[in-house]
Amino acid sequence: MPDLPGKALARELIEKSRSESRATPVEEVIQAICGDGLDDGAAHRLIGRLWTLERMFYYIYGGWGQGLEINDFPPSIKYLFSKQIVDESTHEMLYLDALLRKGFAATQKDAFRHPSGCFVMDSALAYYVFSLRNLATYPHPIRIAALNLGPKVLELAWMEGLTKAIADPDLKGVFESQFVENRSHINMGRRIVEEFVTKPVEAELCRWACAVAKRDYGRFLGELSAFVLGHEAPAPPAPRRQVTD
Amino acid sequence: MPSLKIDHERCTECRMCYIVCREIDINAVYVALEPLHRIEIDLQKCTYPGCTACLMYCPAEGSIVEVESGRSMVPPPPEAWQEA
Repeated sequence: MPDLPGKALARELIEKSRSESRATPVEEVIQAICGDGLDDGAAHRLIGRLWTLERMFYYIYGGWGQGLEINDFPPSIKYLFSKQIVDESTHEMLYLDALLRKGFAATQKDAFRHPSGCFVMDSALAYYVFSLRNLATYPHPIRIAALNLGPKVLELAWMEGLTKAIADPDLKGVFESQFVENRSHINMGRRIVEEFVTKPVEAELCRWACAVAKRDYGRFLGELSAFVLGHEAPAPPAPRRQVTD
Repeated sequence: MPSLKIDHERCTECRMCYIVCREIDINAVYVALEPLHRIEIDLQKCTYPGCTACLMYCPAEGSIVEVESGRSMVPPPPEAWQEA
């Protein structure tokens, strides 16, 4: 079988993301856990904030799904996307289940209301979510390259490091059980880029979108680490600007 | 008799082959109990070339390889469905 057209690009994006993957702000959390362990308050903040992000993937993928039309891509691409949506939903439920099981929240309603679990518009999390949602108007292979070969590669790496550092078997399991799906998402992204990114202009768009997604994900991780460790949150990503008609 | 294996360089680990194989009760495709939990094919249970269901449903064409020839397999033509 001949090589697929986007093979070199997929490899380039994955290798670049891998080279950056152990330099995210989560390393600070991992170091802190290795030193002093993870107390209940920090664990609640960590799981709660990750749960909030996972919930937002319904909104992101909803927007992306609207951009898929009949006969624009083979059914296989749509199957892979639907698989990714299901996986993300599973991870969202895993986090919520952990919040309830560990007694961090008594009910789902409490989990939604708690500062760890509520969605705040003026946050790096929201900035990252809107950044991904904004890719809805781009062709599917480009947005999949942006997410699956960018932040997903970073996520798998910090999650593996975090899992090693966490002693609590329950919490360890929450992260460990996501590895298979996360690896699969990277593989799916690789495949879609290999097969469908054929033109130089598309390759450039993939590089650009991947860099933007990683930059905004990095900001979210900075905010997450500060929140978990009880530090002051990093400066907002952009100066606030008053918008008027 | 020719047999099949997974090319992990190409496979996306989406598990469609696993679902299909289980659905038709052949159960040759399984999740290996190794650290990466990758998909593998049990040659004792696989009925290839009698059955090619995994090839028909795999979304990442070329991820399944014929062991003896090393050929990356592609879905059989639609006639194969009708003949079966």
